[in-house]
Amino acid sequence: MWNISRRTFLKAGIAAGAACAAPVAFDFKSFVKGSAESQVDRIPSTCNGCSSNCAMFVYVKNGRLWKLEGIPGAMRNEGTLCARAYGVAADIYNPDRIKQPMKRVGEGNQFAPISWEQAFKEIAEKLTKIIDKNTGNSVAWMAHGGKETYAQMLLDEIGAATYITHYSTCFTAKTNAWDKMIGAQLTSDMDRSNYMLFAGRNYAGAVMPGAMRRIMRAKKRGAKIIVVDPRLCELAKVADEWIPIRPGTDLAFFLGLAHTLIIEKLYNADFVAKFVFGFEEFWNANKTFTADKAAAICDIPADKIRSIAREMARNAPASFLEPGYHGLHNHYVSSTQIAQANVIVNALLGNFYQHGGLMPSAAPKFGKLSLPKRLQPEKGPRADGAGVRNEYPTVEPGRGIAQNMPELIAQGKIKAVFIYHYNPLRTAPDPEYQKKIANAELVVSIPIDWNETSVYAAHYILPEHYFLERLETPKSLSGNIAYDYPQVVMRFPAIKPLHDTKSLLDILKGLTAAMKIDDLFPFTVEEEAEAMLRPLNISIAKMKETGCYELPDPVRPGFPMIDGKPAGNSTTGKVEFSIGAFKLHGRQGVPVWIPPLVSPKEDNEFRLIHGKQPWHSHSVTSDSRYLMAISDSYHGSWLWMNSVRAEKLGIKNGDTVTVEANIRYGETSRKVSKTIPVKVTEMLHPECVWVPSGYGNFSPQAKFGYQKGINYNDFAAARVEPLSGSCMVQEVIVTIRKGGK
Amino acid sequence: MPHYAMLIDAARCTGCAACRIACQMQWQLPPEIFFNRLEFREQGKYPHVQQEIVPVQCMHCDHPPCATVCPTQATYKRDDGLVLIDESKCIGCKYCVVACPYDVRQVNERGIPEKCRFCAGHIENGGQPPCVTTCMNTVRVFGDLDDPDSEISRQMKEKNVYRLAEYKGTKPRVFYVKNGG
Repeated sequence: MWNISRRTFLKAGIAAGAACAAPVAFDFKSFVKGSAESQVDRIPSTCNGCSSNCAMFVYVKNGRLWKLEGIPGAMRNEGTLCARAYGVAADIYNPDRIKQPMKRVGEGNQFAPISWEQAFKEIAEKLTKIIDKNTGNSVAWMAHGGKETYAQMLLDEIGAATYITHYSTCFTAKTNAWDKMIGAQLTSDMDRSNYMLFAGRNYAGAVMPGAMRRIMRAKKRGAKIIVVDPRLCELAKVADEWIPIRPGTDLAFFLGLAHTLIIEKLYNADFVAKFVFGFEEFWNANKTFTADKAAAICDIPADKIRSIAREMARNAPASFLEPGYHGLHNHYVSSTQIAQANVIVNALLGNFYQHGGLMPSAAPKFGKLSLPKRLQPEKGPRADGAGVRNEYPTVEPGRGIAQNMPELIAQGKIKAVFIYHYNPLRTAPDPEYQKKIANAELVVSIPIDWNETSVYAAHYILPEHYFLERLETPKSLSGNIAYDYPQVVMRFPAIKPLHDTKSLLDILKGLTAAMKIDDLFPFTVEEEAEAMLRPLNISIAKMKETGCYELPDPVRPGFPMIDGKPAGNSTTGKVEFSIGAFKLHGRQGVPVWIPPLVSPKEDNEFRLIHGKQPWHSHSVTSDSRYLMAISDSYHGSWLWMNSVRAEKLGIKNGDTVTVEANIRYGETSRKVSKTIPVKVTEMLHPECVWVPSGYGNFSPQAKFGYQKGINYNDFAAARVEPLSGSCMVQEVIVTIRKGGK
Repeated sequence: MPHYAMLIDAARCTGCAACRIACQMQWQLPPEIFFNRLEFREQGKYPHVQQEIVPVQCMHCDHPPCATVCPTQATYKRDDGLVLIDESKCIGCKYCVVACPYDVRQVNERGIPEKCRFCAGHIENGGQPPCVTTCMNTVRVFGDLDDPDSEISRQMKEKNVYRLAEYKGTKPRVFYVKNGG
């Protein structure tokens, strides 16, 4: 039976009432009266709270945002929405939005308004000068990712190779390994699976509502849900079993599973014979890495490792080790090998291209605008070295390395940086280092709010329309969750632009016109959308009516074959347990155990780990009034510490502690020190402390999240894991002591 | 006359708070005023620990103490079971805030002790409260207990249910699924 604890709601309520100017609220009676009289429009869009693109209807009353509803049938959210959807939508009225173009003036991060025309003129002059002097290859475009086409067209025109996404600070170890081993990013078929193992994947914290709906349905029909995580994460709360693991040792756990599958002959030998390349090489390198060896490293009993392997094999091919996303794949020196071992465990189960196992994404075949060919200059090598011989040859050049931009600027490789819908000063390691992006000759930020990158690094800020104000080209809903049918969604403008902002396409049209580049974008978003939809026989009107359109051709199971031979998208057409490109560059092709770079030793030392909270998406949501109010209700920004460790240090729940780390670059070292209240918990492995990833904002102009909590990036140096380019952000030991300011 | 009620399966909740903010949008509430909260608890010792999350909101009691103590009958019980507030009668004395055993009243910017309205004005023609429809884990079921074919009637029959603080005699219209029920 649940007992309610009396809390100070009366006090809190009155205080909130007094402090609240309530621009959004109006009283209930006039609201009801108004509702009856006012026009309500329903416009389809997709959420911008993370990159899942949950399909939703936006309800607009008298031109003002009212509410949202998930679109039923959309595979990513099945009619539901998480808190972030509402939070970021309401932020269209956030006073911290950038309301007109701005130019940096004087010292101290001061900005003055500038007209679009003048901004385009000044940026074009500077950019042209930089290109003339240093070639176009000295220009870089950094972006979260998505809408690559427009930026890419500009980069192609000026001969710039360096398009960088945020992915190296997120999940490149995964995409790199999967691409090289099988040439596809397969997704877990939760609808038909009977045994799901999640390690480093928390669909209820890094919320994807469609995944949670499937997981809850699977649970009801008797499927097993196992979560391996140092923290009892939100997904573990509803799982059949939570298995805590020593952070940094997931590779040992995966290799222990693989060893059990092979030594006990539980693996699908037929699948391996037909569709796997490099099995012997893997086995020869890992023969002695038994479940017992793994257990001693990863703190999961050997019997548990074996029983999981057996259960997975018993349910195969309708079982999987979830391929994961950010969790584990930006975290350790072994991140690339963790992703490799993930592929291997799944392949041993023979679940590739199988219902209930891993399936490819259903993808619509969009059309393309036919544009006149242009004479384009040759590009030099990528400045970040991704895919470049003698630099980072095995890193995917399509994603790049984001965390090293200040170095590229210091070396003179990059002179001008455009930063679009991206905030590396908060989401990449070591913000003090990232601030040096400001040293480029030209830094243009294209944001929606006063994020850290704009405030501390940008010379010009060109604000984009809010996502509810934008028309965007159709997107495919695919990836992460297996779903048989291709689905198309589209974002329509629901609200008229509130401020003097522009769409990205119009920003680039204005800029290129000022650079005297003629007709680089001879189309509108509508025209591009029409061209994309034409081969699918969908009209824009139909998209506007449905919001989410499903196409009839399903993805079918079965390993890709051509002329009776395996035809996966790898060199051999098979699943390659050994990556040739790694061997070519002097590294081991198959994964073998690699210990963490650093480990905690003393009573006051902890590994700093992080994860998502269900109501925040890294820095994108951290200035949201509504979402920050949820954080305030639940002490959301506190640091988690295991109770036994806390007791040793005399720390009680709610105490403030000082968290310190040394950030090292070669011989030089800098001390970072932050204070934060502690949540003392039973729900965490004793060797680590955990912070949610949405906090630690340091832009004073984004006041709702300003100085709330700390961020894992505060304590990590900007390092590059050489195989995949990730940041290894959990190879960080912090010391913690009670007290602080 | 319908008999509105809600069934909450707290074991399914993963604490995302979408219910809270979907409701805030539906009723255009400011960030600090919310009609459903989450209670987080840990049970056990590492590594044998479980987390409990219980969504709590106005229970729309059949014997609502908040209505009993209201000196002006601003808080009243509608025939279909909804406990509502007539703002024109409210004098802001906050007796209801103190009387509520579930601690769900919040004083809004106009001095009115607000709470969940069971979406009065939205449900009468078959609309579902946004806290129900937005929930990815289907924690809540809302409907008419007088309709034997309604989802809530069906689930109430199938499942072992209880009400919070039943000993208070408030007879809530919000029911909870017992663990393992």
